[in-house]
Amino acid sequence: MVSNSTQTITSKDIQTTSFLRANPGRKLNMVLAFAAVLLLVSLVTWGYQLKSGLIVTNMRNSFSWGLYIATFAFFVGIAAGGLIVSSSVYLFNIEKLKPFTRIASLSAFACTLGAGAMILPDMGRVDRVYNIILHPNFKSPLVWDVIVITSYMIVTYLSVYVQLLPDWKKEGRGFLNGWTKTRTLEEIEGISKKWSKRVSIIGLPIAILIHTVTALIFATQASRGWWNTAVLPPDFISVAVASGTALVLLIALLFVGKDRFAEYQEAFKTMALIVAGALVVHFFFAAMDLLIHWWWGKPEAHEVLSLVFGRYGLVYATEIFLPAFTMIYFFSQKSKSSFNMLILGCSLLFIGVFAHRMMLMFPSFNAIPLSLSLPGIGIENWAYPIAMGEFQEGLPVFVSTWAYSPTLVESTIALLPFGLVIFVIALALKTYNFLPEKN
Amino acid sequence: MRLGMVIDLDKCIGCRTCAVACKSHNAQPPGTWWNRVFTPGSTFHQAAVGKDGRLQMNFLPVSCQMCDNAPCEKVCPVGATYTDERGVILVDYERCIGCRYCIAACPYGVRQFNWEDPKKAKQRAGYKTGYEYGHPEDFRDKDGRLSYTPNRPVGVVEKCTFCIQYTSKGEAPACIRSCPSRARIFGDLDDPESEAGRIIRERQVFRLKEELGTQPKVYYLAPVKPAR
Ligand code: SF4
Ligand code: SF4
Repeated sequence: MVSNSTQTITSKDIQTTSFLRANPGRKLNMVLAFAAVLLLVSLVTWGYQLKSGLIVTNMRNSFSWGLYIATFAFFVGIAAGGLIVSSSVYLFNIEKLKPFTRIASLSAFACTLGAGAMILPDMGRVDRVYNIILHPNFKSPLVWDVIVITSYMIVTYLSVYVQLLPDWKKEGRGFLNGWTKTRTLEEIEGISKKWSKRVSIIGLPIAILIHTVTALIFATQASRGWWNTAVLPPDFISVAVASGTALVLLIALLFVGKDRFAEYQEAFKTMALIVAGALVVHFFFAAMDLLIHWWWGKPEAHEVLSLVFGRYGLVYATEIFLPAFTMIYFFSQKSKSSFNMLILGCSLLFIGVFAHRMMLMFPSFNAIPLSLSLPGIGIENWAYPIAMGEFQEGLPVFVSTWAYSPTLVESTIALLPFGLVIFVIALALKTYNFLPEKN
Repeated sequence: MRLGMVIDLDKCIGCRTCAVACKSHNAQPPGTWWNRVFTPGSTFHQAAVGKDGRLQMNFLPVSCQMCDNAPCEKVCPVGATYTDERGVILVDYERCIGCRYCIAACPYGVRQFNWEDPKKAKQRAGYKTGYEYGHPEDFRDKDGRLSYTPNRPVGVVEKCTFCIQYTSKGEAPACIRSCPSRARIFGDLDDPESEAGRIIRERQVFRLKEELGTQPKVYYLAPVKPAR
C-alpha cells in the first residue's frame, strides 16, 4: 500500500499550482540560492569577526551575552517540533499528522544544526572548541547542553533517515544505505516502520531535555534574578512545543500549497491547536513568574520588573501580544481553515518568540548583580559599576547599564543559522520526497 | 591553605592606588580593570551621599572575591577556571574557549573579557608602540597551566589572580603592597596565627552578597565612622 503511493509523486503533482510544488525545482532553487547568499554573507562576516575579535559586536563585560545566545535559544526552541509531531503520531495515535512526520523530523534536524552553528561565532576561541571533549566539566550545564543537543541531532537525523529508506531503496539512491542492497523492499519497509516509531519514542525525552538543559544554563544562575527560577525549564518546553509545532505547520503549509490545503486541513487544524494549547501553558508560567518576582518586593526584583515593563516595554509587548494574538486566533474555528491566516499566525508567533529570547538578555544584564542598598541614606539598589572592557575617548569605562543593541556585523553573523536551516530544508525537500501520499 | 583578604573600609581612603597598581602589575589592557574602587551610592567617585544634610562617604574596593563556592568555576564547560591548592581561583588562558558563561555567573562583575587583542587595544588607545607594562614573565602553575601572561590571548576571560606571579613566591599581591593606608590584609585564612585569619575570627566582618552562598574569601570590616 505504501509502494504505489510514493511512486505517484512525479509529474502529476508538479502540475498543481501550489507555492513550492508548482514548479518545485525552480521555486526550491530560488530558496536555495537565497539561503546560500545568507550563508555566504554571514560566513564572510564571521571571518571578519574572527580577525578582529568580539569587539565588533556590541557585547561588553557588563552585557556579555546578546543576539547570538538569544538566536541559539530560539533555534533550540523551534527544533522541538519534529519529535513532538512524530511522537504525537506514535504515542497518542494522532494519525492525521502522519503525512508530516518526515517534514517534522527534517525541520528538527535542520534547526538543531542551526542552533549548534550559532554557538560557534559566540565563542571567543572557537579554535579551542575541542576542549569541551578533552576537558569536560560535568558540573557545567553547558556541557550537558552539548551532549543533549548532539544526541538530538543524531536522533532527528536517524528519524529522517529511516523514514526515507524505502524511497531510497525504490529509487536506488540515498546515502549510508549500502546495507539495504541485500534486502527486499518489503523488509526495508518493515524496518523503516519499526524504527521510525522507535526513534521517535527515544527522541521524545531527548527533545524535552534539550529545552530543559538549555533553560538550566540560565536558570541555575543565582547571580541573575530574572533567570533564576524553577519555572524557566517548563516554560522553555511550552514555548518550544508552540514554536516548534508552528515551524512544522509553516513548512507543511508552504510545501502543500493553497490548492491542496483542504486535503490536509485536519492535520493543520491539529497542529494549530497544539500551538495554541502550548501557548496557554506558556502564558500561565510567565504570569506566575512575574507575580512571584513582584510579590515579595525585593528591590532587585523590582528593578528587573521596571526594566521589563519600562525600558524594554516595547520588546516585552512584542513578546506578549503577538503570541497572544496567535493563540486566540488558533483557537478560533475560522482562522484554522484559512491558509493565509495560519501562515500569519505562525509568523507572528516566531517574531514573538524571538523577542522572548532577546528578553532573556536585556533585563538580566542590565540589572547588575552587585547592587547595594545602604540603609539610612535612602540608597536602594545602587549598582556597582563594571569595567566594560574597551577604552574609547570620551566614553566612560565603568558602566552601570549598557544600551545593548546588536551591531550590523553581529546581526549579519546571526543570519548564519537562518541560512543553514533554510538551505538544509530546501535541499532535502528538493532532493527527496518528504510528503508521502496518504495511504 | 586558603588565601584570603580582609579590607578595612574605615581605613580605605578611596585613592584607587590599589586599582592602578593592580592594573599595571598585571598588564591589563585599556578598559579592563580587575580591581575597582567606588563610592557606594554615588555616581561620582569621592562624592558624599546622604540626605537631610547628613552626609557620608565610604569607599568599597571590589575585585575577585575568591569564592569558595565559585559559580564561575562550576559553569566553566572546559575547566579553564579552576581553584588551585591554595584556594585561589585562576583562569587557564590556554584552555578558555571564550564562552563567557562565567561572566554571566559571577555576581560581582569582576570578570573581564578580551574583546580584542590586548596589543591592538593598547595601540588604539594611543599607547606608544613598544610600551609594555606589567610583570613581564609568564607564570605557569605546577601542572603547567598558564595563569599569568602579560598580553592575554584575544577571546579569553581574565580576572584577579591574587597576583599569582608574586604570591606563588611568597610575596604579597600588588594591591596589598601599594595601599597607602594599609587597608588591606592578606594571608592564609586557615592559619590561626595570620592577621587575616585572626580578624575574620575575632571581628565583625561581612562579605558581599552573602545571601547568594558564594562564600567569598574576601572579607570586609564595615566602616564605623559617623555621618556628618
Ligand atoms: S568573585 Fe566572581 S570571578 Fe571571583 S571567584 Fe567569585 S564568582 Fe568567580
Ligand atoms: S569564558 Fe573561559 S573561563 Fe569563562 S566559562 Fe567560558 S571557557 Fe570557562
